[in-house]
Amino acid sequence: MACKAIIVAEHEGGAVRDITYELLGLAHKLAGEAGWNAAADIKAVFLGNGVEKLAGEIAARGAAEVIYIEGQALAEYTGDAYHRAIEEVVKAEDPAIVLFGHTPNSWDAAPLVSAGLDRPLATECSAITFDGGKALFTRKVFNGKFVQIVDLGGAQPLIATVMRGAAQPSAPGGGGSVRKIQPSFAAGDLRARFIEIKKGETGAVDLSQAEIIVAGGRGVGSAEKISVVRDLADSLGGQVGASRPVTDMGWLPHEHQVGSSGVTVSPKLYIACGISGAIQHIVGMRGAGYIIAVNKDRDAPIFGVADVGVVGDLFEILPALSKAVKEARGQG
Amino acid sequence: MKSLVLAKQVPGNDSPFRIDGAGTWIEEGNLTFGLNDYDRYGLEALLKLKDAGGVTEVVALTVGPERASAVLRTCLATGADRAIHVKDDALAGADPLSVAKVIAAAIQGEDFSLIVAGLQADDDNYGQTGPLLARLLDRPCATAVMGLELQDGAVRVERELENNRLQVVDLTLPAVITVQTGINEPRYASLKGIMAAKKKEIKTVGLSDLGLDASIVGSAASRMKTVRLDVPPKGEGAEIIEGGPDEIAAELVKRIREKTGVI
Ligand SMILES: Cc1cc2nc3c(=O)[nH]c(=O)nc-3n(C[C@H](O)[C@H](O)[C@H](O)COP(=O)(O)OP(=O)(O)OC[C@H]3O[C@@H](n4cnc5c(N)ncnc54)[C@H](O)[C@@H]3O)c2cc1C
Ligand SMILES: Nc1ncnc2c1ncn2[C@@H]1O[C@H](COP(=O)(O)O)[C@@H](O)[C@H]1O
Repeated sequence: MACKAIIVAEHEGGAVRDITYELLGLAHKLAGEAGWNAAADIKAVFLGNGVEKLAGEIAARGAAEVIYIEGQALAEYTGDAYHRAIEEVVKAEDPAIVLFGHTPNSWDAAPLVSAGLDRPLATECSAITFDGGKALFTRKVFNGKFVQIVDLGGAQPLIATVMRGAAQPSAPGGGGSVRKIQPSFAAGDLRARFIEIKKGETGAVDLSQAEIIVAGGRGVGSAEKISVVRDLADSLGGQVGASRPVTDMGWLPHEHQVGSSGVTVSPKLYIACGISGAIQHIVGMRGAGYIIAVNKDRDAPIFGVADVGVVGDLFEILPALSKAVKEARGQG
Repeated sequence: MKSLVLAKQVPGNDSPFRIDGAGTWIEEGNLTFGLNDYDRYGLEALLKLKDAGGVTEVVALTVGPERASAVLRTCLATGADRAIHVKDDALAGADPLSVAKVIAAAIQGEDFSLIVAGLQADDDNYGQTGPLLARLLDRPCATAVMGLELQDGAVRVERELENNRLQVVDLTLPAVITVQTGINEPRYASLKGIMAAKKKEIKTVGLSDLGLDASIVGSAASRMKTVRLDVPPKGEGAEIIEGGPDEIAAELVKRIREKTGVI
């Protein structure tokens, strides 16, 4: 029953999440590098209740076998239930590597499995490669200022959580099988009880529909100084957006937060001011038509996604730009 | 009900960050250190529960070198009751699983009903120490918590998911949670708090006091090792516009007009 790679599949709202196929794609890439037999050595573990059809979809896209663990205790995600079920499968299969998505739920479960198996874990990996038989994991440190390459000391299994976009999704085909098993525990054995999924705070502003957004980050410095961002937004007839620290610190209400845990926006124009460009922010705004970044640090990652950039102090650039915009619109 | 907050010392955001000579971490010489942002929110979460009467004691714990005691002073001045400092040269560079094992040993016999860690540390960004500890202690865990409420023998938490959604889940106590930034508004230490902190206890322990052997939890025993740090790859990237503020503004207006039509 042994295999080389186990990927932890995810589903949500009755569909397989895309990260599942990216993990399978990555497992196939690793199989090529390590010389595994991809047609037999790559398996997926899939947990839920009444989602066998989805297990079949995963088997048809690059998993030799989908180990589908079905039970009432797994109907909704809880770390307590999921880590137990995953640990059991990993122990039985004894793979070389276990890949989780770096998603809220899999990131929650992966460390539990790591400690349960007493094996180290590399989180938030943007790349994994086998280099001369040794696996190297690439991840960010210092909030993206540097990239760290780690080695897990040849542990078996190697365990990692993998970011979206780290690998090409697996292609349809392969015709794997589904093996349905039951968890060894019941819902009543758990110490975590799912209550509900609810919507976070919302407010009057809906940035998802905005055509023009001027967004401020930690570089703005204080709640009062948000006014320079607002002035520019007003001159353009746009809305004010924010990075997470700005809403965390209460400089603006939560509904202004752009990013993975806020809103995803797609305006025609996005001006990022004093925002470094962390991945969680970028995923929320990279769909904008035209991106301008103002940041005093030439190395800030935001310049990597922007169309044009200004390396400078936002408190000099924004007022000048507000004035120029007003003049251009005949309001100056 | 006793509670524990994990408090890590990390370099501040505005520190000058440079890769060190060995190429595996950063130069520490010119850094200013402070309490990990996530842990400020963690401390506040427990102080709030203490203010409301549900928690009777808040203990702060750090694993780190001598300088790390500063974050324990910060916690004590802000309202924590006492502190534990695990300090041992053998722990420099220990991987998170080793650190979690050390923490588990350091709190043996303490009986904390609620343990709060940060979702991640701003230096290593591992995001795993809290749940590792939970599993070692065999306690339920929830990460990225944006709301919590004590109930009879349980804690109800709201975990942050993507797209502005939250998962509400009840954990039977004793439990471990990790907090996300923005969960509350952390208070600052008052002058009175700073004075009072001077009388509060920081217990310092080393590996031998915990009955641990460096060959099991020390840096030498850590299986996760940094091969190197790199500067992130720069893609094509933005065209940089130069000049004085007014020249730049004029050029940007022109671009906005041509590229977006919104002016
Ligand atoms: C699970 C999770 C979810 C997250 N979700 C989100 C999310 O939805 N949205 C989000 O934004 N973040 C999110 N984050 C946080 C994210 O990782 C970053 O910490 C955050 O985006 C950083 O915000 P920032 O760029 O404003 O601050 P910093 O990274 O501190 O950057 C501030 C920038 O301002 C510049 N600056 C300072 N002063 C000036 C000046 N005078 N003029 C010009 N530039 C200046 C600096 O050079 C720096 O680049 C999330 C994190 C986690 C772990
Ligand atoms: N050396 C340490 N001392 C105290 N707490 C720590 C330490 N390392 C990690 N933590 C806690 O675990 C959280 C997550 O850290 P990490 O897993 O390193 O990202 C931090 O926010 C702290 O609450």
